[in-house]
Amino acid sequence: MKHRSLLIPALLSGTLLSSVQAATVPDSATLADDQTFTYRVMDEFSSFDPQVVEGVVGAEVVRDMFEGLYNQDAEGKNVPGVALSHTVSDDNMTYTFTLRDNAKWSDGKPVTAGDFVYAWQRAVDPELASPYAWYMELMSIENASAIIAGDKPNTDLGVSAPDDHTLVVQLSQPLPYFDKMVSHATTFPAPKWAIDAHGKEWTRPENIVSNGAYVLTEHVLKERSVRKRNPMYWDNDNTVIEKVVTLNIGDEAQGLTRYRAGEVDKTEIPAGQYPTLKDEFPDEAYALPRLCNYYFTFNVASGPEAFKDARVRQALSYAIDRSVITDAVLQGGQFPAFTFTPGATANFEVPEVEYATMTQAERDAKAKELLTEAGYGEGGETLSFNYLYNTSETHQQVAIVATQMWKQKLGVDVTLENQEWKVFLETRGNQNFDMARGAWCGDYNEASTFLDLLTTPSGYNDGKYSNAKVDSLMTEAKSSQDTTPLYAEVEKILADEMPVVPIYHYSTNIMLDSAIQGWPINNVEQTWYSKDLYKVAQ
Amino acid sequence: MLNYTLRRLLTVVPTLLVLIVFSFYLMRLAPGGPFTSERPLPPAVMANVLERYGLDEPLHVQLFTYIKNIVLHFDFGPSFSQKDRDVNDVIAQGFPVTLTYGFWSAVFVLACGIPLGIIAALRHNSFWDYSMTGLAIFSQIFPNFVLAPIMVLLFTLSWGLLPGGGWNGGQWEYIIMPAVALGTSYMAGVARLTRGSFLEVMSSPFIRTARAKGLPERTIIIRHALKPALLPTLTYMGPVFVYMITGSVFIDVFFSTGGIGQDFIDGAYSRDYSMLLGLTILYSLLTFTLNLLLDLAYAWIDPKVRSKL
Repeated sequence: MKHRSLLIPALLSGTLLSSVQAATVPDSATLADDQTFTYRVMDEFSSFDPQVVEGVVGAEVVRDMFEGLYNQDAEGKNVPGVALSHTVSDDNMTYTFTLRDNAKWSDGKPVTAGDFVYAWQRAVDPELASPYAWYMELMSIENASAIIAGDKPNTDLGVSAPDDHTLVVQLSQPLPYFDKMVSHATTFPAPKWAIDAHGKEWTRPENIVSNGAYVLTEHVLKERSVRKRNPMYWDNDNTVIEKVVTLNIGDEAQGLTRYRAGEVDKTEIPAGQYPTLKDEFPDEAYALPRLCNYYFTFNVASGPEAFKDARVRQALSYAIDRSVITDAVLQGGQFPAFTFTPGATANFEVPEVEYATMTQAERDAKAKELLTEAGYGEGGETLSFNYLYNTSETHQQVAIVATQMWKQKLGVDVTLENQEWKVFLETRGNQNFDMARGAWCGDYNEASTFLDLLTTPSGYNDGKYSNAKVDSLMTEAKSSQDTTPLYAEVEKILADEMPVVPIYHYSTNIMLDSAIQGWPINNVEQTWYSKDLYKVAQ
Repeated sequence: MLNYTLRRLLTVVPTLLVLIVFSFYLMRLAPGGPFTSERPLPPAVMANVLERYGLDEPLHVQLFTYIKNIVLHFDFGPSFSQKDRDVNDVIAQGFPVTLTYGFWSAVFVLACGIPLGIIAALRHNSFWDYSMTGLAIFSQIFPNFVLAPIMVLLFTLSWGLLPGGGWNGGQWEYIIMPAVALGTSYMAGVARLTRGSFLEVMSSPFIRTARAKGLPERTIIIRHALKPALLPTLTYMGPVFVYMITGSVFIDVFFSTGGIGQDFIDGAYSRDYSMLLGLTILYSLLTFTLNLLLDLAYAWIDPKVRSKL
C-alpha cells in the first residue's frame, strides 16, 4: 500500500514544534513566584475518566491530565501530543500514527499504542456504556457501530498496535477531517492496570494514573479539584504552571465577585455585563468567538401548515433584526448569523447568501412581500403559532424581542411557552412544538458538525427538515478533499428554504487575570491546556 | 419514655417505605430522564447506558432492586450525573459540610437569639427592647439571598477579612458567612419568640409565687422562668434545625460550600433518580430523628407532656 505522508505542519519546522507545545515565555517576562492557576467552574465534573467524561469543563480537566494523539495549538491546529505524525493510505481509510518513545504515565510506565487500543475499545464497550460512545461512531472507526449495538466484540474495533509506537486505525468510510478528531478527550489513552485494580474508583486522586502534563492531587466534590504538574510528562521541562485549582462556584455573579477579590484568575462574565466590564477591565474582559449557533427551528413535519411554505419561513427569518439581539439585548460580542455554520469554523468560508447582504429595511420589505404572497399578513390570514424555549432569562429576552419584531413588522401572533430543560428536550424531540429554540456547539472544528444536523437521518434534526440535495451534498462532503464549495451550496439551500432561522453565533465572555499569559484566544473551540500558560509577576 | 421511643422508632420503617415508593414513582412522572440531553444518544448507546444502570427494567423491578440494595448492602446506587461516584459517596462527602455549617448556624441562632429575647423581655418597653425588636424585624425581612451578597461585598471585597466562598476543609473563616447568612432570620425569630414567651412566663402565677417567697430575681429567671419560656423556641427550632443541617440550596450554591443542599436541586434538574431518592431518605431520617429528640426534650422540660407519654 502506498502511503501519502501527511506530516503535520508543526513537524516541518523544528522551531514551531517546540514553541507551540508548551508555555512560551518571552525573555522580557518576569514569572510570578507562585505559578498557581485558579479558575471557576460552575458544576461538578461528570467524570475524570477520559472515555466517560461529558461536557466542556470536564474535558478541560481531562485534557490537562491525559494527552491524546494530538494536542491543539493556540490557533486550534493539531500539534504533536503522544503521536509525532501520521500517514494516510490512498483510499483515506487507514491512518497510521507514529507515537513518541518518551511519553510516560505518571507511574513511570511508557505510554504505548496498546494504551490507545485499550482506551478506544473501552469507549465503545457496551459494558462501560459510555454516553460518548457515539463519538467513536462519528469518527467512522471500523465496527464501532456494530460493537456498540452488541453485535460484535469490542476487540473487533478497527484499531490496532503492530508495535508499541505504531497505532493503526481502520475507518469504515473515508473521513477527511479524521485527524481533527483525535484531540478529543474520548480518544485519550487509558491505563488498563489502574482501571483493573480500582474499577470505577480509578479516577480518585489516590488511584489515578495519567499521562498528561498534570496529575490529580485533590478532589472535593462540588468544592474544588487540584492538579499538580506531572514530573513524568515528556515535556515537563517546558511546563511553567505548577498547580491548577478549579473552584466550583455555581453562581455566576459570585464568580465575578470572587474574581474581583482575587480568589480566581478566570471566570465567566454574567449575561449583559460584558460592556461595563470591558470598560472597567479593558485588559481582562474578553469576548471570544465560539463554535456554537443559536437558532429557531420550524417544525416542518407536524407544525402549522404555514410552516410548510418556504416563503413563510423566509419572511419570519428576514424580519428579525439580528443586530438588535446581539448588540442591544445580549451585548456580549455575539455575531449576527445568516448561516447555520459559524464563520469561525475551520475551512468554512461564509457563502454569500442573499439576505445577508441586504439592509434590514430591505429584509423587512421583502419579509412583508413574501408573507403576503403566501397568503398571510396584510389582506390574508393572521399567522399565529407557539414558540417553545427552555426556561432561562436570556432565551426569554431573545424570544420577546423576536416576537415583538414579528408582531410589529408582519402582524404575526406568537404565544411564548417555556419549559424546564429536560421537559423541553423531550417535547422538542417528540415534535410537539410549532417553533422551538435550538442551539448547537461543534464537536470538532469542521462545518459538518453543524450541517449534519439538518440532514434527514440526523437524530438531532428536531424540525424534521428533509432535503435530498442537502443529504447528498453532506454525504459527498464526507469523502471529499475540498469541502468548501459543498458546504457553501448547502448553506445556500438552507437560506432559500430556511428550515431554521439562524439568530446568532455565540461568543464566550470571560474575565482572565492579566497575569495569566498564553491563553489561546484565537482557538475557536477554546481548547486550552494549562501547560501552555504561565503567570507573570505584577 | 423508653416505651414511647420504641413505639416511635417502629413507625419509621413503614413511613420510609411509603415515602420511597411514593417518591420513586413521582420522580418517574417527570418527562425526560437522566440521559436525555441536547444531543440525543443514538439508540444503541442509550440502550447500553440504560442497561448499565438497570433503567431498562420495569419500574417495579427497579424499585425492588433499589430497596433490596439498601437493606442488604446499604447501597443507594450510582449517581447518574457524577459517573465516577455512588450516592453514598456523594452524601458522605457533602453531608459533613452541611452538618458543620448548619450546626454553627444553629449555635449562632441560639447564642444570639435567646439572650437578645431575654434582654428585651427583662427591659420591657425600654430602649433595649425597641432596638432588639427593631433589629429582629430588620433581620427577619432580610432574606439570606440579600444578606449573603451584602456580607460578601463588605467582608470580602471591601475589607478583605473573609474569603468570598469555598470550604477549604472547613476552616473557621470559611464557615462564618454561610452560618451567619443562613441563621440571621431564624435568630430574629428566636429572639422575638423568646421575648414573647418570657414576658408571658414572667407574669404567670408561679413566678409571682417565687417572687413572694423572696427569691432573688436571678434565681427566678434561671431556675424557674427559663425552661418554660424556651418551649416555643424549641418547637420552632426543631424543623429549623433540620432545615439547617440538610443544607440550604442558596447557601450551598452562593458560598460554594460543597454541601448537599445543592445536590437535591441538581438531582431534580438532571433527573439523577438515585441521588434524589438517597437524599429524600436522608432528609426523612433526619426529620424523624430530630422530631423524636424534640418530643423527648419537651417531656424533659414540661411535666404535663411527660405524664402523657
